[in-house]
Amino acid sequence: MSTDLSKTPDTTTGTTTEASISGAEIVLDEVVKQYPGQKVPAVQSLSLTIPAGEIVMFIGPSGCGKTTSLKMINRLIEPTSGTIRIGGDDVAKQSDNELRRQIGYVIQGGSLFPHMTVAKNIAIVPKMLGWKRQRIDERIDELLDLVSLDPGKYRDRYPRELSGGQQQRVGVARGLAADPPVILMDEPFGAVDPITRQRLQDELLSIQRELRKTIVCVTHDIDEAVKLGDRILILQEGAKIAQYDSPEVVLGAPANEFVEDFVGSGSSLKQLSLTRVRDVDLIHPTTATVGESVAEVKRRAEANGDTSVIILDQRGRPRGWPWLRQLKGDTVVEPTEDLVDVDLASTLNDALDTMLSSSHGGAIVTGDRDQYVGVVNFDAVTDHIRAIEEKARD
Amino acid sequence: MWDFIVERRDDIIFNTYQHASLVAQAVLLATVIAVLLAVVVVRVPALAGVANVVSAIGLTLPAFALIGLLLPLTSIGVVTGFVAVTFYAILPILRNAVVGLQQVDETLLESARGMGMGQLASLWRVRIPLAWPVILAGIRTSTQMSMGIAAIAAYVKGPGLGDYIFAGLVRIGGANAVNYAVVGTVGIILVALVADALLLLLGRASISKGIRAA
Amino acid sequence: MTDLADPPQETVARHEPLDGPGEAVPERGARSRLDRSTLLMLVVPPILVAIVFAGYVWWRQTADLDGVEQSQLAWDSTWSALWRHVELTLAASALVVVIAVPLGILLTRGRARLLSPLVVGIANIGQAAPAVGLIVLLAMWRGYGFWTAVIALVLYGVLPVLRNTITGLQGVDPTLVEAGRGLGMSNGAVLLKVELPLAVPVIMSGVRTALVLVVGTATLATFVGAGGLGAIIDTGITLYRFRVMVAGAVLVALLALLIEWLGRLLELLTRPKGL
Repeated sequence: MSTDLSKTPDTTTGTTTEASISGAEIVLDEVVKQYPGQKVPAVQSLSLTIPAGEIVMFIGPSGCGKTTSLKMINRLIEPTSGTIRIGGDDVAKQSDNELRRQIGYVIQGGSLFPHMTVAKNIAIVPKMLGWKRQRIDERIDELLDLVSLDPGKYRDRYPRELSGGQQQRVGVARGLAADPPVILMDEPFGAVDPITRQRLQDELLSIQRELRKTIVCVTHDIDEAVKLGDRILILQEGAKIAQYDSPEVVLGAPANEFVEDFVGSGSSLKQLSLTRVRDVDLIHPTTATVGESVAEVKRRAEANGDTSVIILDQRGRPRGWPWLRQLKGDTVVEPTEDLVDVDLASTLNDALDTMLSSSHGGAIVTGDRDQYVGVVNFDAVTDHIRAIEEKARD
Repeated sequence: MWDFIVERRDDIIFNTYQHASLVAQAVLLATVIAVLLAVVVVRVPALAGVANVVSAIGLTLPAFALIGLLLPLTSIGVVTGFVAVTFYAILPILRNAVVGLQQVDETLLESARGMGMGQLASLWRVRIPLAWPVILAGIRTSTQMSMGIAAIAAYVKGPGLGDYIFAGLVRIGGANAVNYAVVGTVGIILVALVADALLLLLGRASISKGIRAA
Repeated sequence: MTDLADPPQETVARHEPLDGPGEAVPERGARSRLDRSTLLMLVVPPILVAIVFAGYVWWRQTADLDGVEQSQLAWDSTWSALWRHVELTLAASALVVVIAVPLGILLTRGRARLLSPLVVGIANIGQAAPAVGLIVLLAMWRGYGFWTAVIALVLYGVLPVLRNTITGLQGVDPTLVEAGRGLGMSNGAVLLKVELPLAVPVIMSGVRTALVLVVGTATLATFVGAGGLGAIIDTGITLYRFRVMVAGAVLVALLALLIEWLGRLLELLTRPKGL
């Protein structure tokens, strides 16, 4: 991160893997958008620096100009005045189509082209950039793997053969296709159910840990902003900046009444949205790998005093969490249940949601590429709340 | 009847081919013109109403009247038939193409723009493929209609099976009159049914599996 | 947990004006009583017809016509051809309605409804038959004359009305039919008071299509000696007089436009209130 950004507080809450930053810095300088026939500009002089490799969430009430501001970055909307620079280059000086091919664009529902297969949807930008066929094919498989879709199974499917969450995943893969330094997202997870949304958010965080792109994301969900954002930009009408800071500061020290109203009043429960799963102590119950002997697994679990085991596949990804009595046969087989897990970067808030719906009183935690890390349980959460309260009392 | 057909089979086959070929060429040209017009109409929303009115009025115009209007310009022969058939064939395709192109979801188009597709690429790779099932339905209607108009055009020496119908008409009461008229009429029905079947096959081959009705 | 913050739920994009001219999406298939293009179609044709007809009258009175043209375009023979054309159109259309609507009703009742796909299928194939061929074949069977032409026109016009009657009746919400039964209405009463009124717009649109088909096809009646405006075009072609054929074509076109307009008017007037 370059030094001129030091005026804004460092917000990265200790990422697990320190991949190198592949994103580029975006600088908006006195950007104005005035629509013809409108007295008040939709965007009144917005100046903003988005550091390379960070996720910045744009949030604000309806009509505050957050979407307009986002779309000016890839010139889907042309600013009336002001300059926007990506990695130092003025976007207005480039051909608009070529500019957009260097910027990923992900919108609600994925917005996949229904007449193209998953592979063709992802291949659009690489093709326009003139990539070789073989390189495109490899890239498609790589990306599908990255967004946790089996390439063999999904590359030739059509969008209507996918669930909403899968479509959204492909939408993200399509945005990443040409490996752009900057990705713009417009309410990317607005069209899916809450559980799928949480999963997609976790996946995005895990992808970001690997890729370190610069991601600008519009949302109307403060929880999503807190969870995904390295920084949150809260906008008032006319895209006036109400506050631009890390989630911790926005929640803990709202800049003004507007922000306070907008984020809601602070409480210890709310603080749960600030703490990531990686910041609390995880427990490590007995695990078993698919193919192991059931008798051996049972012996191990009983020695640990566990009544259930977490089953991992050969690549170390959690697949199921059965009770011991549910283990039948000679060897452990891959369970078919739909396991809900949380990411290291998930908030305690999400983890609590997942725990409440689990019969084990805990939630399985995964890291990069869905690797199993451990389990977070209620004790960890209550310990954390107690610590916060003690701190508040001091 | 059978003898009549066997005796004249070369001529019948030739006229059938002429009929089919006239309609095929006219519909092909009409498709190109109609889709181009529809693209313009969709870009300028004020034209949509105009296109609707022109298309409705055009379809009201009786074919025989259009032929009467065309003759001074194109004189007796193939050209008149071709122009008349093309004119009518444009209208249903135009109407469907406008509806089809308008139906394409705005967010998909913005998403295409957001990925850096130019206007032409977006039209060619997103808008037209998505509108294609509707356009094709228009092409089927046009083809059916064109068969009958080509038959009328035979009155002014347009080519095709219509010749047989008019040959039957001038021979009424005489030998073979019925044979001529039946061969002409049934021949055209058969050509129309085969053409429709071919267009259905074209649909199966050309409409993306992702948007085809199950 | 969920009382954290209630973010505004509606998405911003929809409220913000988007630049670019393409955003004002015109109403598509809006079924309001008078949308823009319906209005255009009610106003434009009569004005167009009036202007062009006035132009024709002016041309007819001032043009320097030779003897043949004079006699072919004499006003009394023009009027009688026009009137004949109207007679053919109205007679055929009336018969079409009388035949197709009851048949359509029949094909949606009881077991007969199993036959309706078959009948519509046959009628569809029949539609592929060229109108000229139909008229000529009928003339061979029944001889020249007015009624031969009318029969051919009826055969041609039945399909749209039949098809629309069936789809119109099938499109009536079955719960409404059930509601009618529940009120103690007889089958006949349900048909007359519930099903038909709801199907009228669809049926009438079929009637308008039939009117346009019939008035256009009636130009071919001249081939079987049934007269009509087609005779003027035909004479023009036979004598190779451009003025005569164009005059005939213009008159037929005007009549067709007027009939189509009447059909639209009828469609609008018969639409039950509240639909």
